[in-house]
Amino acid sequence: MSIILSESEAKALCQKVLSYSKADECEINILGEERGNLRYARNEVSTSGSLINQNLQVQSSFGKRVGIATIDEFSDESFEKVVRRSEELARLAPENPEFVSVLEPQTYVKSSGFFESTAGINPDKRADAVAKSLELSRAQNLTAAGFLDNQKGYSAMMNSKGLFAYYPSTSVNFSLTVRTPDGKGSGYIAKGYSDVNKLDTAAATRIAIQKSLGSVEAKALEPGKYTVILEPTAAAVLLENIFFNFDARSADEGRSFLSKPDGKSKIGEKIVDERVNIYSDPTNPDLPASPWAGDGQAIDKINWIEKGVVKNLIYSRFWAQKNNVKPVPTPTNVIMEGGTATMEELIKSTKQGILVTKLWYIREVDPQTLLLTGLTRDGTFYIENGVIKHPIKNFRFNESPVIMLNNLETLGKSERVVSTESNQNYLIPPMKIREFTFSSLSDAV
Amino acid sequence: MKPFFFTRIQYTSGNWDTDQRMPSNLLHSLVEYTTIPVDEKEKIVQLSSNEIFKSPFCYLSGHKLVEFSSQERDHFKRYVQNGGFVFVDDCNHDIDGLFAKSFEQEMERTFGPKALQKIPNNHAIYHSFFKFEEGPPTTTFELNGWGDDLVHDYLKAITINGRIGVLYSNKDYGCEWDYDFRNKRFLAVDNTRFGVNIVVYALTA
Repeated sequence: MSIILSESEAKALCQKVLSYSKADECEINILGEERGNLRYARNEVSTSGSLINQNLQVQSSFGKRVGIATIDEFSDESFEKVVRRSEELARLAPENPEFVSVLEPQTYVKSSGFFESTAGINPDKRADAVAKSLELSRAQNLTAAGFLDNQKGYSAMMNSKGLFAYYPSTSVNFSLTVRTPDGKGSGYIAKGYSDVNKLDTAAATRIAIQKSLGSVEAKALEPGKYTVILEPTAAAVLLENIFFNFDARSADEGRSFLSKPDGKSKIGEKIVDERVNIYSDPTNPDLPASPWAGDGQAIDKINWIEKGVVKNLIYSRFWAQKNNVKPVPTPTNVIMEGGTATMEELIKSTKQGILVTKLWYIREVDPQTLLLTGLTRDGTFYIENGVIKHPIKNFRFNESPVIMLNNLETLGKSERVVSTESNQNYLIPPMKIREFTFSSLSDAV
Repeated sequence: MKPFFFTRIQYTSGNWDTDQRMPSNLLHSLVEYTTIPVDEKEKIVQLSSNEIFKSPFCYLSGHKLVEFSSQERDHFKRYVQNGGFVFVDDCNHDIDGLFAKSFEQEMERTFGPKALQKIPNNHAIYHSFFKFEEGPPTTTFELNGWGDDLVHDYLKAITINGRIGVLYSNKDYGCEWDYDFRNKRFLAVDNTRFGVNIVVYALTA
């Protein structure tokens, strides 16, 4: 049996596993994937890896008692074994007061996240892509360290009420740091796609090279509040903290930035600049994603923030039932609408400001205001009268993405980015922000 | 009662023109929490001008050198000794920075070597309106969520006849309170509350 099952194969397998079930309710989750990677450092390839994984998870319930067992052997014997084990566990488990029954069959939108181009990547193709990058850094006597990682796989689920869901996908991620020989200059790039034909490792490497050469001899600038232009890679790691906190329950329970003092959430309230629109849409061709959530709920287009107003929050099926509202599933992708400005235009329109190309090591200082801290890295530049004047030393920042989106000046065009913190992909625009708070200097390069 | 007005001191050395939105946030808090009538417009007064003597409360800040001219020094000294109040805030939040070093030297020259002293964290200024049991509240510039925090856990002051005449901070409150007033609603706790204490102390002590 192959690792990546077709829809009909996955369905047949789920039905077989389900046939062993004696529980009140049963839910099967399966996944199969093949990954390959090539890592390089100090201008040489250091590791070449491949990974094959398949998993089967069975959740059985008797009344409100639930047990889950997983296995990675795919034989008839194993199927029965894992079902029996989940049933044993369910009988031993205490009743779950938040138990909800498995879902009825759903209708899913069509999303195309599987690309033959990416599925066909082999070690040769990875080596070619990396060679293009290495040639460029070697030619300029720069030191490159990078990682190219590709994946193809599927996930599927079926339950005893007849729900069946299947989603195949591919992805390729490329990240690279280029350093100057004296260690004083550094540039970074990260690109992620579903279709490998969109990945140009040479073009990406040229950007990292340009940033590394441009960031040598950085001058110190005083910490304080500055106008900043955040490249999407820098913006993503801040904004995803907004995305991660769209949960209604934590808002209702007073634990999030969307909580109000009266025990309610900020749903319906304007919390950011009215040019901000954030939504999910699994059918987006630039960021295709699974049309079903982990619990099997169908995901259509959902607006989270529309014209600055909170439109929806994630309601788990339990929390929705408790509050007598419709459940809203956890999204599988997040998109922030952009404007029309190019990076060049953003820079040209800036009298005094700082270009931030990357932020890293983001940590939460206060969950209720979403105050975050972290550092700039790999190329930070001072802009004066519409031109990049010189590189500057890195800063630690203290800023809330909510306040940041209130201090929005201009939005650029959205593009697909990889979060350097979570590895998630998003569509996010570059943005110009007023009064971004840098709290201290950092000696990092 | 005449409305309270916020005076910013303009001095010739260094830079005085910092954190421009700070006064409006502080004035907003005075309106919100107290019954003190307020003049909404910030007044900028040259230290060398006699206008300084009409102000109940002055603010002086900067990043760079503080070196008063002889007339500026004379005015600063007379203003403070006659019962004036100056809140001085180092925009560098740095005890070794140029502003801190030069301002402290300037105070030595003006008031003598021991004039500027740490005040205890149970000083009346921490209870003049809101209660700050731990002393001066920290700023985001200090609390950066990492091990490299540089927290100044005290303020300094020059006390004249038992009352603060010069309140001196390395905490960079000015920059901390320098934001668009609309963003105040996103703060878990209004961070300009300590500013209310400073003004109330200046007006009542």
